Amino acid sequence: MATSVETRTRIKRFTPIQQLFHLLLIVTFLIQGSTGLARMFIETSWGKTVAWVFGGYETCRAIHIYVGILMLCGFALHGIYLLFKINWKNFPESLFSSDSLLPRPKDAKDFLQHIGWFFGISQAPQFDRWGYWEKFDYWAVFWGIPVLGLTGLILAYPLSATQVMPGWFLNLAFWIHRIEALLAMCHVFIIHFFIGHLRRHNFPMDRAMFEGSADLEATRHERPAWLARLEQTGELDQQLVPETGVARRAVYYVVGYLALVCGVFLLVGGLLNSPNITW
Amino acid sequence: MRLGNSIGHLLYGLSGLLIAQFLLGPVVAHAQEEVASAFRRYKDREVSTGFYEQYEVLPRKTRPIIAVPGVGPGVFAYSPSAAQVRTRTRLADSHQNIKFYNVLRCEYCHIEQTKDIHTVRARLTCRQCHGSEPIAGIEHYYSPMNPVRRHAYVCAKCHEGSSASFASYIVHPPNPTQVSTLKTFPVLFYVFWFMVVLAGGTFLVFLPHTALWGIREFLMTKKKKKKDGNKRGDENSN
Repeated sequence: MATSVETRTRIKRFTPIQQLFHLLLIVTFLIQGSTGLARMFIETSWGKTVAWVFGGYETCRAIHIYVGILMLCGFALHGIYLLFKINWKNFPESLFSSDSLLPRPKDAKDFLQHIGWFFGISQAPQFDRWGYWEKFDYWAVFWGIPVLGLTGLILAYPLSATQVMPGWFLNLAFWIHRIEALLAMCHVFIIHFFIGHLRRHNFPMDRAMFEGSADLEATRHERPAWLARLEQTGELDQQLVPETGVARRAVYYVVGYLALVCGVFLLVGGLLNSPNITW
Repeated sequence: MRLGNSIGHLLYGLSGLLIAQFLLGPVVAHAQEEVASAFRRYKDREVSTGFYEQYEVLPRKTRPIIAVPGVGPGVFAYSPSAAQVRTRTRLADSHQNIKFYNVLRCEYCHIEQTKDIHTVRARLTCRQCHGSEPIAGIEHYYSPMNPVRRHAYVCAKCHEGSSASFASYIVHPPNPTQVSTLKTFPVLFYVFWFMVVLAGGTFLVFLPHTALWGIREFLMTKKKKKKDGNKRGDENSN
């Protein structure tokens, strides 16, 4: 066993379908961010440059609408995927198990203990499979996509929308869409990227979402409760996988860093140019 | 026989021309009218003569007791002419009696109205919606801007098929950050600040959290990290 385990240094974390969902989200999110910011910043040369990449002010709108609809379709697909993914055999309990992404009281405890650990007051929390920050990122999409999708559809099809609501709802939809989009972008480009790339545990990049697996030792250090649970039930051995080849890893890094560069470009450009636009 | 042949040829030729007209000719628009020019037609409607057609619909709501803006509703106007002068939104010439009007520009007084999407992004000029002189008040009985016909006379120039509901979009929304919006467009104020508090609250928690996390991990020495891991490993094995 010892020899077989040694090559399998990583633990399975995401399935190919989950990785595909994440990749689709990366691409669509960056397109939406770029085309949206291009239109918002069209008064500045930076905004004009970003708009030029996508074919100009009007084309940006068309792309933004179609990709937005694509995101809504992806969201619906993910909902259907969840129906298949839920463990229906022990249904209500399975939702609150340690493998579930649903928040539970332990997450709040972990959060507070984690902050205590930042200040050296308490021990590092024993994270299970999903940390509270990961659950937050996951469920944030469930808030963001409906809010952005609904307000986006209202703004994209105002003539149809105002058949069921007064026209001044468009004024509200505009600000909800804008602030929610800025919140989503700032969260992903600052917090999500920092956690995934810059903190020491993951530097230079957490490959888990691209490779589907995480380094076993690093995971043992960060998520001891998960590993303990797997060892106790004897499931750990079937979760272990070897590391992928150098070429594939290179692709993961290139994709990851491309997304990072795009995001930081939008973040910095947007922040620098924010005083120069009519809000 | 010969005549019949040539009539047949003629009919074939004509039907061929007709098919060619349908295939190649310009499409007949539903609203194609016989007017001298589109410009002329719009101008007819934009100039606030005060009278259009006998079958014009009446405004949706008529308030017999005119209120003075900013003062609050009153049963009687200050003087027989005061309400007429002050509620310019109801005048046929909303700028009547303004001194040196002919040397003023719209934005000298209406600077706030130049900071919206229609002006900044779509680059519309004031007159493209408000029409040429004399500019009727938006609530004037016969104004194209009157809510009963605004959608058809103003919005539909660009937004084809716009409805009265659509036309209730506030083209010049007040600045949602300002307290005065609480009076002019309270829902916008509340929605804006709800979203800001939501976004701000998220960052108020997660920015310091993430920064502290980064610092804490950065300050860990490698030895300590290893020791930490071993310690945890021990705990697990126990």
